[in-house]
Amino acid sequence: MALPPQSTSTTAPPDELPLELLHGELIFSGILLSKDKEGDINELLSKLEFIGFSTGYRLIERLLKDSTRFKDELDTIKFICKDFWVAIYKKQIDNLRTNHQGTYVLQDNCFKLLSKISATKQYLEHGPKFLAFTCGIIRGALSNLGISSVVVAEISTMPTCRFHITIQRAT
Amino acid sequence: MTIHNLYIFDRNGTLMYYGEWNRKKAGTMNKEEEGKLVYGMLFSLRSFLEKISPLDLKDNSFCYRTSKYKMNYWESPTGVKFVMNTDLSSPNVKDLLRLIYQMVYVEYVVKNPVCPMGEYIHSELFAQKLDEVVKSSLIYTSKTS
Amino acid sequence: MSRQSTSSRITADSKKVNSELFVLTYGTLVQQLVKDYESVEDVNKQLERIGYNIGLRVIEDFLARTNYPRCTDLRDTAEKIQAAFKMYLNATPSLSNVTADEFSLVFESTPFGEFTELPDACANLKYCNVLPGVIRGACEMVQMDVQAYVIADTLKGDNATEIRVRFIKKLHDALPAGED
Repeated sequence: MALPPQSTSTTAPPDELPLELLHGELIFSGILLSKDKEGDINELLSKLEFIGFSTGYRLIERLLKDSTRFKDELDTIKFICKDFWVAIYKKQIDNLRTNHQGTYVLQDNCFKLLSKISATKQYLEHGPKFLAFTCGIIRGALSNLGISSVVVAEISTMPTCRFHITIQRAT
Repeated sequence: MTIHNLYIFDRNGTLMYYGEWNRKKAGTMNKEEEGKLVYGMLFSLRSFLEKISPLDLKDNSFCYRTSKYKMNYWESPTGVKFVMNTDLSSPNVKDLLRLIYQMVYVEYVVKNPVCPMGEYIHSELFAQKLDEVVKSSLIYTSKTS
Repeated sequence: MSRQSTSSRITADSKKVNSELFVLTYGTLVQQLVKDYESVEDVNKQLERIGYNIGLRVIEDFLARTNYPRCTDLRDTAEKIQAAFKMYLNATPSLSNVTADEFSLVFESTPFGEFTELPDACANLKYCNVLPGVIRGACEMVQMDVQAYVIADTLKGDNATEIRVRFIKKLHDALPAGED
């Protein structure tokens, strides 16, 4: 299901910058790494994801109108793709796919946190670090809406990326 | 009008970027050495200009010209130095340099966490955006001599 | 897609979402650091350090956006920092105790205040310590060596949050390496 195309603006409002710069610091300053495990990429990714989770969980509470009700799981995911993505990344998800069995793939053709970095495969090795926080945000937001999930991301060419959401159902 | 080449130095004189468009004579030394030479000359020239200036220099820009080309210098308030060689007829080069700072340097170096500040810029996206801005400038597109 | 969502389900003050996202992320980071680092002093130091790094970059955006010329004096600098807080964090500090080489930025509530409480057993935590770091980094880029530190904090029961900034010296461009 294709969502309508949108233009991307060149100079973003200034109040978007503090988060972008803080996010860059989380990735490159080493602040999240314990000293004895310097350079451990898995520790970094999981902490970024956790910070995103906690942030997304709390953010969704502040954003939603009290009257908001979601019809079903798909409706909730569509909300993430549209209103939520616009609120935090100023554009909608470009494409949403689902197998109707609890897996959703959200594609952003110009993901904000990658858009200044590369438009090719250059720096691709840094890609996962720039997506972990957002994976956490999605998982946190869904969690607060009562949906437990696993979220992973992939990039083939920057700044396009895909977030794979797998819903965890109680068994 | 012609744009020959561009050097970007950080405030400590480190060569952060070199790009060329219509450089008709290849340099005789490597880029790093050439960068040092250019920076050293500019540093001396600027302090000379400040010392002998009969006016208060506010602009942080100047240029010198030979009979063949013009070297244009503009410095951001943070001390990032942009140096562009053009032909003699190119006007307002300093406005283009300021535009490169605002639209390219700030957007694709400062806001790209992968680019460490004060080191050579390897980002291809930066190079691409710089090329776009240079090639869309009047100085580049205008065919008048 | 059977149903169109015509009206946003997001609250009217979603304009504030940029600063909320920042504040929440920062808050989570502080919690994480308190967990990760043994001493609160280290957390304070780390927050100041990343603030400094952010300051090195944010100043470039600030100057590119505003086209401000070089500051004439320290009051001028103080007013520009004040404008930057408004621009980036939607915070409106007032200036006080401005002297020739010092000034204070006073926030009635901290820029992080609305949702914030100090973690337990963190009496010495300087929650806002990223901000003096940002100021130090930003000033350094415009050739000013300053000290900046939090001297009052609403999170600790003070009436206002106050950041004191002291001018140390003017910095100069490095001399070019000698030509051999």
